[in-house]
Amino acid sequence: MRRIGDTAIAAVTVVALGSGVYLLGPGSGPHDAPPQPAAAEGRPDPGEERLEAPALSASPPTRIRIPAIRVNAPLMGLALTAAGSLDVPPAGEKNLAGWYEAGTTPGERGTAIVAGHVDNTEGPAVFYDLGALKRGATIEVDRRDRSVAVFTVDAVEVYQARNFPDEKVYGAAERPELRVITCGGGYSRTTGYQGNVVVFAHLTGSR
Amino acid sequence: MRRTVRLLTGAALAVAAAGAAGAPAYGGSSGSLDVYPSTAAPGAQVTVNTSACGEKGSAVGDASSVGAGTFTLAPSTHEGEAIGEFRVPPSAQPGTYEIVAKCADGTRQVTGDLTVALTPAAGQLQPHGSVKTGVGGALGTDPVQTAAGVAALAVAAAGGTWLLHRRARGDAF
Repeated sequence: MRRIGDTAIAAVTVVALGSGVYLLGPGSGPHDAPPQPAAAEGRPDPGEERLEAPALSASPPTRIRIPAIRVNAPLMGLALTAAGSLDVPPAGEKNLAGWYEAGTTPGERGTAIVAGHVDNTEGPAVFYDLGALKRGATIEVDRRDRSVAVFTVDAVEVYQARNFPDEKVYGAAERPELRVITCGGGYSRTTGYQGNVVVFAHLTGSR
Repeated sequence: MRRTVRLLTGAALAVAAAGAAGAPAYGGSSGSLDVYPSTAAPGAQVTVNTSACGEKGSAVGDASSVGAGTFTLAPSTHEGEAIGEFRVPPSAQPGTYEIVAKCADGTRQVTGDLTVALTPAAGQLQPHGSVKTGVGGALGTDPVQTAAGVAALAVAAAGGTWLLHRRARGDAF
């Protein structure tokens, strides 16, 4: 009788231990932390840069597609906040990205800027997988003049907010370039995400 | 002054009446001219589009107010809009100018405003700093799940302690 009791207790102990570890273990939340770029994605391969396409005329973008991470989202115009940082789309819309309307349009010569949420209170949002993007991946931007600007990813970097390289991210470019920005760089419960994942791309085609 | 106001009101009413009369023929298409960018520097390329001329409707644009002359708005497949572009003359002075587009079938005219500002492209206002694009909603463990996990580990600890005690006492296992 005692033997059966002991076996039962041993069994319960093992099951409880297993489920406790499972419930508290890493990756057991509703979702894992969003992917962050590997250091290698920030290093341009010498001589591997794809051909540059000639600049397009100015036309506002309407949609962004990044097939490698299954992004297909409409774009809204974004302005600056009172503090001078780029404003963001409403957090409630999880499949919506924005572009900096007072800046360069994607495809035009210069640096066009697109931003979107990595997550909202509900869970992952439009650019959740942005940090998993690799060099050489394709980003397509539909424009109002019916053309499609095709960009190729040059680098994927992560920058801390307290030491953000403004000139590198937002600075003017001689050729048509694109930046795609979302939150990243570690998360703290008190201060939120510590920085941004930034994708650098340049125009390699259009249709 | 009063006369001016009255004249303007009259003109506005006339335009509204013309718009109302013209509208049914185009199934409620919008009657404005989109000017992009709405603020441009001298020398910049400006795109205008309108859906006022209906499906496959072209239009003649007039940007002579800013010194750019006339241009053509060609029909596009995009939502039945006619699109055209012109270049702001490098000599254009800062100010707000009215850009006009007249539908090729002569029935309708739409206008939009273009503001010319002396902001050289290099001095274009750039954003600075990081972007607030997440709240952490995709991560962090559910509190209920955490409590369940802690409870399960407590049970495991109690069970383990009990078994070890029995063993230490030399009881049959």
